[in-house]
Amino acid sequence: MSKRPPPDPVAVLRGHRASVTDVCFHPSKDILFTGAADGELRIWDTLQLRTTSSSWVHSAAHGIICVATSPVIGRNKVISQGRDGTVKYWDIADGGLSRIPSLTIQTNSYHFCKLSIAKKPFACVRQGEEPHYHDLGVEETSDAETLDHNGRMAQGNLTESSSTLEDDVHVEGPKYVAIAGERPSEVEIWDLSTAEKVVRLPQNGSSSSLNQSTKAHGMCMAVQAFLPSESQGFLNVLAGYEDGTMIWWDLRNPKVPVTSVKFHSEPVLSLCVDGSCSGGISGAADEKIVMFSLVHSMGSCVVKKEISLERPGIAGASIRPDGKIAATAGWDHRVRIYNYRKGNALAILKYHRAMCNTVSFSNDGKLMASSSEDTTVALWELYPPRSIT
Amino acid sequence: MEEVAETILDKVAAVIAAVKDAKRADQVVCALHSLAVRLFPLDSHALSGSIDQQYRDQVLSAKVPSEQERTDWWRVFYRGAAFPTLARVLLYDVASNWLACFPFSARKHVYDVFFVNGLMVEVVQTVVPSLQHNGNGSFDGNAVRSNAERVLALCLIENDGVLQLARELGGSCQSEDISTEQLNLTISRVAQLVTSIPDKAQSRTAKSLSSHFFFKKITVQLVAGAEEWDMNLCSKEAVFNKNIVDGTILFVGESFARICRRGSADVLLRQVIPQIIAHVRSVLSSNADVVVTEAFETKAGLWFWFKFMEAIKDPYVVETLSEKLLHQLAAEHVTDLEAYWVLWILFHSIYECQTPFRSMFVEKFLLWKVLPVCCLRWILQFAVFQFPPDAPSLPTKGLNSRCLLDTAQHLAVVWAKKEFVQSAPVEQQIYVTAALGLSLEKMSKEDLDSTKDVMRSILEGVSCRLESPAHLVRRMASSIALVFSKIINPENPLYLDDSCCGETIDWEFGLATSEKGMLTTSECSDKDINEVKTSTTSLPEKEINNMADNGVGNNDKTRKKTLSEFNLVDPDEIIDPATLNNELVSGEEEDDDDASENSETSSDSSLQPYDLSDDDTDLKRKFSQLVDVVGALRKSDDADGVERALDVAEKLVRASPDELRYVTGDLVRTLVQVRCSDSTIEGEEESAEEKRQKALVALIVTSPFESLDTLNKLLYSPNLDVSQRIMILDIMTDAAQELADSKIMKPKHQPRNLISTVSETQPWFMPSSIGPSGAGPWKEILATETPLNWSYSYERELPPRSSQIQRGKTRRWSSRSANIQGHQVEWSQNKFPQYAAAFMLPSMQGFDKKRQGVDLLGRDFIVLGKLIHMLGVCMKCAAMHPEASALALPLMDMLSSREICHHAEAFVRKSVLFAASCILVALHPSYVASSLIEGSPDISKGLEWVRTWALHVAESDKDRECYTTGSCLRFHVNWGKQ
Repeated sequence: MSKRPPPDPVAVLRGHRASVTDVCFHPSKDILFTGAADGELRIWDTLQLRTTSSSWVHSAAHGIICVATSPVIGRNKVISQGRDGTVKYWDIADGGLSRIPSLTIQTNSYHFCKLSIAKKPFACVRQGEEPHYHDLGVEETSDAETLDHNGRMAQGNLTESSSTLEDDVHVEGPKYVAIAGERPSEVEIWDLSTAEKVVRLPQNGSSSSLNQSTKAHGMCMAVQAFLPSESQGFLNVLAGYEDGTMIWWDLRNPKVPVTSVKFHSEPVLSLCVDGSCSGGISGAADEKIVMFSLVHSMGSCVVKKEISLERPGIAGASIRPDGKIAATAGWDHRVRIYNYRKGNALAILKYHRAMCNTVSFSNDGKLMASSSEDTTVALWELYPPRSIT
Repeated sequence: MEEVAETILDKVAAVIAAVKDAKRADQVVCALHSLAVRLFPLDSHALSGSIDQQYRDQVLSAKVPSEQERTDWWRVFYRGAAFPTLARVLLYDVASNWLACFPFSARKHVYDVFFVNGLMVEVVQTVVPSLQHNGNGSFDGNAVRSNAERVLALCLIENDGVLQLARELGGSCQSEDISTEQLNLTISRVAQLVTSIPDKAQSRTAKSLSSHFFFKKITVQLVAGAEEWDMNLCSKEAVFNKNIVDGTILFVGESFARICRRGSADVLLRQVIPQIIAHVRSVLSSNADVVVTEAFETKAGLWFWFKFMEAIKDPYVVETLSEKLLHQLAAEHVTDLEAYWVLWILFHSIYECQTPFRSMFVEKFLLWKVLPVCCLRWILQFAVFQFPPDAPSLPTKGLNSRCLLDTAQHLAVVWAKKEFVQSAPVEQQIYVTAALGLSLEKMSKEDLDSTKDVMRSILEGVSCRLESPAHLVRRMASSIALVFSKIINPENPLYLDDSCCGETIDWEFGLATSEKGMLTTSECSDKDINEVKTSTTSLPEKEINNMADNGVGNNDKTRKKTLSEFNLVDPDEIIDPATLNNELVSGEEEDDDDASENSETSSDSSLQPYDLSDDDTDLKRKFSQLVDVVGALRKSDDADGVERALDVAEKLVRASPDELRYVTGDLVRTLVQVRCSDSTIEGEEESAEEKRQKALVALIVTSPFESLDTLNKLLYSPNLDVSQRIMILDIMTDAAQELADSKIMKPKHQPRNLISTVSETQPWFMPSSIGPSGAGPWKEILATETPLNWSYSYERELPPRSSQIQRGKTRRWSSRSANIQGHQVEWSQNKFPQYAAAFMLPSMQGFDKKRQGVDLLGRDFIVLGKLIHMLGVCMKCAAMHPEASALALPLMDMLSSREICHHAEAFVRKSVLFAASCILVALHPSYVASSLIEGSPDISKGLEWVRTWALHVAESDKDRECYTTGSCLRFHVNWGKQ
């Protein structure tokens, strides 16, 4: 079989005047949020492929590190994180942002670590929404049968507990956000509804030796918060550090991390946990991508697949909600697509003319957006999920 | 005996009287016959047919003496005064008056017989002086001379007279009736007379007496005589007994010496060498198992050759002969072994006992003469190593190795001298280098330690050669260093130069024959002057590989063999177990993948991978701004960035953006100071170094003043090294040339109305044929108005312009109409002159200052040479422009300063010659003429200086190129002045 040439982007969104640092799809609508290094947040219509709104949400000097949406924080909400030490919580009203953020958190942290909204196993999150999502979720579980034993266990638990968790989603429960803290070696969990710092990891006053050791890992470069079904609603945080270690915390025991592993030799720049919260992918400044699985029962994190690259630097990684493919945004201007199950490479997407910053999948899995320092955002359609009937 | 002598004298007197009184030729014949018949066994009937009846009877009736009587008479006749007396009459009176009338048979039997059958020693002494008779008195000079020539040719060449001479002289020494001194005197006189014959003989005469032919013939006879002597020799002792002087040997030696003195050594050797080689070959092939030396000593026929050189008393002749011998052996491509034995045969007896000969070999032939390298090898083998080349090793430590060490030391001291490097001709440098190298190859570490100075001298010599601008000289240094390092540690040879990577060193340095060698060296140095790119020149020296195959000797071959074997099994090869493991691991992983793929359900079949091929062409950041380029060049740790910046630098500069003039200074500085590798990546056409230089050239061309300002500051700044200075000068040279050739598009005005060019094919009054393509030929319009039509009118069809709509109108062009279609362009405009001063003046200012790191007149003479060369190129580029005349004066001032034009290094002097010739080219003749007429002192003084200096160089410079160029230059000056 002759190889197909890698696809081109289906659309390119131009308009930003600075490096596009983050992209994020609206959980349900055809809306894309993008944040740029000059502080501009744009909202795009992904059907019409044009900007619907543009606003300067952070100062141009500092810029936006991260924009995030999640069904967890509400349907019409978006969070922006700037390098000015604030996290802003916006309402989306009639196609644009509210004039002033509904909430501004002064985190006083000045770093490059993107915040992370707690990720729940998506199958339950989506319950009650458009029916095909549910179907998708069901199918996903059936696919997951082929996963390793732990994964199946996780899925099993997930379906059982989904009904209880569902309430949390829609009811204004605690909306937790994990952020690298004021001290960069710490991870802080903030409650968005109250704008309060809930906990710091490692916790203050805990064993000083541990504290020392976390400091020795250097700055926290990437965090991912998730709510695995095994943890009974307690938040888990996976944090990647400057020296390449990743530490897994469970808030049930915030003093001691669940495990600490070192897969990378350089700072971990991106972390993404898959929809079932049973594994993830990490990219770092070194020349490899690691796919790992999280074994909740044993509290261990093991390498599933290590992919070595020709050129170092993965600034962003993302796993499609259906868990089939994963994408990485490389410093080498390339977006790489992998089969998440098997870890083999599927495509090398060459479009951007500068470093890629982020990749992000839409919740329905149809679209992928990649953002780059060349001020463009590219939209891709890859391996469309077959589930839609 | 006494009465026989008197009788003979009476008889001779009678004959002479008869000849004087003779009225007819027949009477003369009769008179001569009456004497000849008593001396020689004549057949009287042979001549009777050609003379008159009355004389015939007289001739036939002559009394024939007995054999014994005749021999007595003969001996007395020739030993006494009779023969010279008669010979004088024969050679003068008879030859001029009667000989022409002699019948042929009579001439042969009664005239020639006195000479041909006579005692050669006497004949030669009598006849040869008559060659110089110049027709005074009553004799016909021409007739006398030509007859003498004829007689000599007859005696010496046709009748093997020289062989007979050798026999006679050999015999006379045995007869002991004359003293040794007398004999020696006779021998040298005879030899002198014989060898002087070609000079005395007139040029127009037969070629038998021409020097080449004559010497060839007599050499053959002499060799035959010598071999005859050799055969007759009864005991071997006689040969080696120094006290016995043999006439034959003395005569042969003396004759050879005189032949050589007369410049025919090569003729001589051409006859001699094949004989010796034949002997050598027969010995070498016949007895392989006997000790060769003994075989040679016992072989008959060689004894003469052992004595040969000894017999030649004249040291000068020995030297020329030896040199020529070596040359000729080299030309005949004899093997090393044969050559060794030839030398051994000829020289071993005198080499051992006579110091002058030893010094001839060890001093003259190693240090002063330049012979082919193979000869050098033979000389070393014979004179220094003193054992045949096929011997396994130095047979005895001791005397021989002492000799080797002394020679090596001597060579090393000479080789290391700075003056030798500076002033010796290239050929000689090569030769001495080869001699040193070859002797070093035979030395061991212990030998080296036992001599004091060798090691130091070699190190000195290597270091002072490595600084030389000439590639060849550097290669000599690296070759010697290689040999030296092999002595110190054979496991770890030191390669200073990439070109000598083979196991054997080419001691000829790529110069196969001496003629070709001179050619190549001059080419090399030309390149040095013109095209040296900083210090990293690497001439294409492919020949080294070819030459290495020519083989140096058995030893080399065996060494090569062992080395290659050594290479085959490399014990140091590292096999990394990790790689093996990796392979295993990855294999397993693949297996795993396959397994999981098999177990996978069909759901993933949609995930067919795309083409995963990836290249990083797009990743290389393209610089589009000069500022970025400068920035990238400053980041010396980012080698990749530097390289990419260099890639684009030239293009960006050539585009000449507005900001160029502001960044020029910075860019120039960074480009000069950036360190870039000279290695060319495979598949890439030019190295980073070349790109850098091209970018700099582009900079100078696009913004000359700014960049030259910076460059001139940098040129003398202490922070740069020599290679950077050289590079600056190189790029300035290139830029000057580029500016001079720059082409500018310019509308061309055609002065057609005023001047008609002869080169036009059509008549001048026709309008020009230029115009849009497709135009038809011009046709004359017949003007019918007036019969006296002063102007011609022409018309032609023009194709419609692309924008024009045809309206059926004919356009008509008169001959006066100006050509408005200005699409003709004029090429070539020399842009250089306006910048010439900026190029030249600042760089000329600081050359004689000695500062920290800058010492052009001393250590950095290469920079000085390049500087002068650059100035010369600048002059050439500004040639015929007024600027050239203005700049010529300061340049000549600079050149004529003593420390430059008499610089110790030939490289600098060459540059000065070049620059001076450029000045001559550059000055406009009218300017020179006017300044000479007006008596402008500066320019005429300068030209006069060039002339005298060129004269001086042509006469006294030691470097070959310098003096040839100098003589050319002198010619040019003279021509220019006229």
